[in-house]
Amino acid sequence: MPPKPHRVLLDRVSVYADEAAAFMRRRRVSRRPFARLYYPHGRSADHAQDSRSGAELFVAAGRLIEVAGKKEKG
Amino acid sequence: MTTVMIQEARARVTVGIFAHMPDAAATAPLSGESADGALAFLTEMSPDLRGAAILGAEGEVLAATGDEPGRWGEDAAALFAVADGAEGAPVEQVHIATEQGEVFAVRNAGLAAVAVTDRFALASLMLFDMRSALRRLASPNFGGSEPPKSRKGGD
Repeated sequence: MPPKPHRVLLDRVSVYADEAAAFMRRRRVSRRPFARLYYPHGRSADHAQDSRSGAELFVAAGRLIEVAGKKEKG
Repeated sequence: MTTVMIQEARARVTVGIFAHMPDAAATAPLSGESADGALAFLTEMSPDLRGAAILGAEGEVLAATGDEPGRWGEDAAALFAVADGAEGAPVEQVHIATEQGEVFAVRNAGLAAVAVTDRFALASLMLFDMRSALRRLASPNFGGSEPPKSRKGGD
């Protein structure tokens, strides 16, 4: 007996949700800090944390994070 | 002959227009109220947002969250200075992800916005919202009472 059509749809949605959750989990685990600059006309450049410009960018970003403070929960 | 004269006149007049036309986005006075409106839009649209500031053409703070608007101005200026100096060219957007949070900075229409979010905020949406808020703020029709259009589907 074939499954009801809505069951097929639900299963498919569940599979997509599982895939997305796995992707987000992997992203959280594997993501490293980065500094990315975007220029006009779509050009972008990554700056490694151990480069001089990268280190300066991380210091400047750290100050802003400090100013923003912690998010109030609720 | 007539065509040539018209072309000459147009060239002369056009040059005059552009010479005297101020850059509306960069010079129009923006009220703190409209900047507050744009900041409220950003806060509403981004659940991951911890804090943000909107800066004017000269780097002055038009609106900021928290109690230290002056520090937002200084630290945002420092970030843009470092970013511009990295390759010797002015940046349009900055995205820095650290263990403590993420920093976004956008320049648009003569204004700038800086935002700090929790980790793993969706960068493309965040940058889109910031650009959208700045563009709206710089438009002459924006008076602070009309919030930028929501990207939420329900309304």
